[in-house]
Amino acid sequence: MKRRDLIPMAAIGVAGAWALTHQPKDERPKGPRTRSAVAVLSAQNYESDLAGILQRGLAECKLDVRGKRVVLKPNLVEFDRNTCINTDARVVAAAVEVFERMGAASVCIAEGPGHRRDTLGIAAEAGYRKMIPGFERRFTDLNRDDVALVENFMGDDPMYFPKTILGADLIVSMAKMKTHHWAGATLSMKNFFGLVPGSVYGWPKNQLHYYGIHESVVALHRKFAAKSFAIVDGIVGMEGNGPIQGYPKHAGLLVLGRDLVAVDATCCRVMGLDPVKISYLTHALTGNFAPDWIDQRGELPASVRKDFALLPSFRGLRLV
Amino acid sequence: MSRQFLRDTQNSDGGWPYFSGKHSWLEPTIYAALALNGESSGERAFAFVRSCALAEGGWRMSADVGMANWTTALCITLYLVNGVQDDAFRNGVHWMLNTIGAEGSFLGRMANLLHPEQVDIDASLQGWPWRPDNASWVEPTAHALVALKKIEKHGGTVSNRLSLRARVEVGEKMLIDRRCGDGGWNYGNKRVWNTPLPSYPETTALALLGLQGRPATELKPSLDAAARWIRETRSPLAKAWLGISLRNWGLPVETAEVDQSEDILLSALQALAEPGGGHQLLSPAGNV
Repeated sequence: MKRRDLIPMAAIGVAGAWALTHQPKDERPKGPRTRSAVAVLSAQNYESDLAGILQRGLAECKLDVRGKRVVLKPNLVEFDRNTCINTDARVVAAAVEVFERMGAASVCIAEGPGHRRDTLGIAAEAGYRKMIPGFERRFTDLNRDDVALVENFMGDDPMYFPKTILGADLIVSMAKMKTHHWAGATLSMKNFFGLVPGSVYGWPKNQLHYYGIHESVVALHRKFAAKSFAIVDGIVGMEGNGPIQGYPKHAGLLVLGRDLVAVDATCCRVMGLDPVKISYLTHALTGNFAPDWIDQRGELPASVRKDFALLPSFRGLRLV
Repeated sequence: MSRQFLRDTQNSDGGWPYFSGKHSWLEPTIYAALALNGESSGERAFAFVRSCALAEGGWRMSADVGMANWTTALCITLYLVNGVQDDAFRNGVHWMLNTIGAEGSFLGRMANLLHPEQVDIDASLQGWPWRPDNASWVEPTAHALVALKKIEKHGGTVSNRLSLRARVEVGEKMLIDRRCGDGGWNYGNKRVWNTPLPSYPETTALALLGLQGRPATELKPSLDAAARWIRETRSPLAKAWLGISLRNWGLPVETAEVDQSEDILLSALQALAEPGGGHQLLSPAGNV
């Protein structure tokens, strides 16, 4: 073996040692495993009775929000009228209406886009100001909120999070059903990247890429899963070079559930992706990705499957 | 209008929050201090910034966050504007000269060599990251270049001028390497998975701010892109940054009324972007 052969091995060794020391602490629940309910509901377009569909889905998942401070966390990235990057404003508006009707103490909207700094400008372009009653008073830019330190986020490393999120009783991850050119798919779990404040970590939240995208998704899920719920906007999703430069893909669905892993695994099956090949789903410390442990309500994923186009480097993710 | 809003929203500690009623952060404080330069509000803001200096170099970014990040470059600019070059200033410059994009590390270069299709960058050209041990991006690099060029122009007392010049030269090359096909800038990459990325108005403005002093002929496509963006963009933030940048390049900017926003950072930038509004404080030669 030559000395130059040792360099990559040493690098791999260093990277491996770093990864081992930065693993989230094992907080896997020791009790009996519980099943997860996921509602897959038909919504053919954004003119549908979205509030009625969401209300039905929340009832199927037995979500009680009475007296809770609810934060809706949509996926606002940037606006391009030629495609569909963001969670549609009409879905968010319907969620505000339903959560208020169900007796939530407050319903706020909060987001911290990954790379564009003009959060309110993106929200305006995406129709949020126009379509969501009281948007200005409800909205918090998580990139510029006051923050508090959370210890042991990634191994021993702490991370700052917005106080709006830390003070919420329920965080509703309102993701868009999209392929993702680094992670394979971006759904309700990956949507939590927007909880990390840009004021501390920058645009994009590059620290998460250095921890590893999948590792960071797992760590965010570990921190917030207990007070989370997912609503995925799959009415029109994105295929190909997502999460920004892909093409619109009609799936005609809203997918809801308390277990974000189960919701995302279900979305993957709808998109024609094998969830077992999405690392953050199989490494999540809680939650079910196996179909035997998911109680599907509404449509069966196989019956509404619409294969989303994949970049060549992600074709191995295709569900067979 | 923006200036009065700034005076009305200053916190009792002398700093500004991003939105009224919250804690003070360095970023909105520094832009507001520049916009109110010469007023007592600006002096109280500078005192707040000075109180955030860290012994190890750099400035804590808020009362809640006791570590330095890219806002250290903004602090250096503000110190120069106020004519103060004390130990905190020197430690801050040292911190900034030692903070470098991680894409140029051995592992970063190896990843780039193994998968050149992922991001099309010259990883040897390292600018500044948002925070230590991360990759270089356009905005923090632009702020660092403004601060370091200001030191060069005004004879700031730094121990290693050779290092300073070398970082400026490589930082400029890094920005030019990452320029998009349309002449503007995305956030840090020009091509991902062999797909060209579009430029954005605010990052185009910031990159041009960092490249002040380069020949305008070399940057003509970029200046054209900025002139196009300021006409087309609907983003108030982007318009403010473009106004600041184009004015510093000596190019005409149409003055337009702006709606008063609750966003303090935006209000400060809009004030700086006004004719004679302080934009020159973000140029190497400006008013020191």
